[in-house]
Amino acid sequence: MKLLTHNMLSSNIKGAANGFPLRIEVEKATEKQVELNAGFLRNVFPIIEWKALVDAAQLPEVADSSMLDSDNFLNKFHNALLELHLEKDALVCPETARRFPVSQGIPNMLLLEDEV
Amino acid sequence: MLYNVLRVIRCFYQSQHACSVLTIAHSLRQSGIFSTMREVNIKGASGLCTLVSDGQSEIPQSVSDSENMGKSFFSVQSTPEIEKKYVHHVYDAIAPHFSSTRFAKWPKVATFLSSLPSGSLVLDAGCGNGKYLGLNPDCFFIGCDISAPLIKICADRGHEVLVADAINLPYRTDFGDAAISIAVLHHLSTEIRRKRAIEELVRVVKKGGLVLITVWAVEQEDRSLLAKWTPLSEKYVEEWIGPGSPLARSPSSLPLESIPENEDNGSRDHIEDSMEKMHETPHLTSESKYDSLSLKHEKNTKNQQEYFVPWHLPYHRAEVSGASACALANGLAKKDDKKGAVVYNRYYHVFSEGELERLASGIDNAVIVDQFYDKSNWCIILEKIL
Repeated sequence: MKLLTHNMLSSNIKGAANGFPLRIEVEKATEKQVELNAGFLRNVFPIIEWKALVDAAQLPEVADSSMLDSDNFLNKFHNALLELHLEKDALVCPETARRFPVSQGIPNMLLLEDEV
Repeated sequence: MLYNVLRVIRCFYQSQHACSVLTIAHSLRQSGIFSTMREVNIKGASGLCTLVSDGQSEIPQSVSDSENMGKSFFSVQSTPEIEKKYVHHVYDAIAPHFSSTRFAKWPKVATFLSSLPSGSLVLDAGCGNGKYLGLNPDCFFIGCDISAPLIKICADRGHEVLVADAINLPYRTDFGDAAISIAVLHHLSTEIRRKRAIEELVRVVKKGGLVLITVWAVEQEDRSLLAKWTPLSEKYVEEWIGPGSPLARSPSSLPLESIPENEDNGSRDHIEDSMEKMHETPHLTSESKYDSLSLKHEKNTKNQQEYFVPWHLPYHRAEVSGASACALANGLAKKDDKKGAVVYNRYYHVFSEGELERLASGIDNAVIVDQFYDKSNWCIILEKIL
């Protein structure tokens, strides 16, 4: 699971008014090289919840779109968003503490019968 | 339905990355959003019907508490029994075989994806074996499907995917640039759920974002295919939707019409596979075959939209997957020795002309920008306006 996906995932369990962002408990993480696509990074930047990404990776605390002109920042953003790969961990709902497992890099966000 | 890890993955840490990973891990612990690394144990969920890969079977246990039964019966997000048994479990059991037949890219979908602006984020809800993920190399795709085995196939191909329910997408609102739902909604057994799935697709794209939906049509180009399907009575479908229905507890009492055994059985596989491919490949020119049987069937099925559509899983495939043993034991599948295959039934609600349009029109924050019929599918493109 990439941090781009984590930035989109929200716990939709019954009883949670705001299930974003999910707290990450990492057990295994790797890095996978991904070709940098500046157009995609520029397009997706406005929709990214920066604090959630910062908390999950090493990035400057504050960012604005003008920083995308810097190759250095672009590379850091790209690395954090797309190259960090969480293989095994748990995503924890910030309100209900319900744990969604990530195994072999795949999050399972399915809810149980009594959770919908 | 929880995803069970079926095998251990060996993780190779390359030396040049080991340092950065450790650095990140250290800062993660410090930042507070990450807890100390520890083993995460996920227990199997009780009360759910699961066909586990080691061949054990669990008979579906309806929610016994009447209060819960009432709650889940009325919740649009609660999965009806007919979908659990005749969609989810079937795809889980046939995943590798199914995936091997899903390779042709439907031109209409390819055109839609290729025409998206470069750098778009595309969400594929019900992505199956990931056929369309990455189709446009200038876009980034995130796929989800309710079938963990199918998602595993996607992940093995390097796609970014997760296991999720299209009725309840675990995504923030307004995130994607586009969303696609290719041959998915016809597996939802109530209108409310079908509409909800469309609403979810619209919700997760940003304003101005596009949504492409395709579903199987009542109006099949090759009418003779309908004769291979098992029509379901309305009463039958109704009884299957509630989690506490008696049919859910005694699958052996299915009032299911058996698939007629006749002389052309030998060609059934080919016809079924070609029917599958017809919905997905462009090259088949189908001339309607009108014989007396088809015409009679056509009259009877004019208003018929609920069907079981068979899937023949060859014995050697069934042995590999292991899930077929319990499917046979549960009565979910039958053996066909003549064809050497385990026969599964998949539930379909095929769409009539205008039905998809009617469903989509009821959604306030989206407009229909295109709709068409192509290769026995009804298709629609929506744009989110608010």
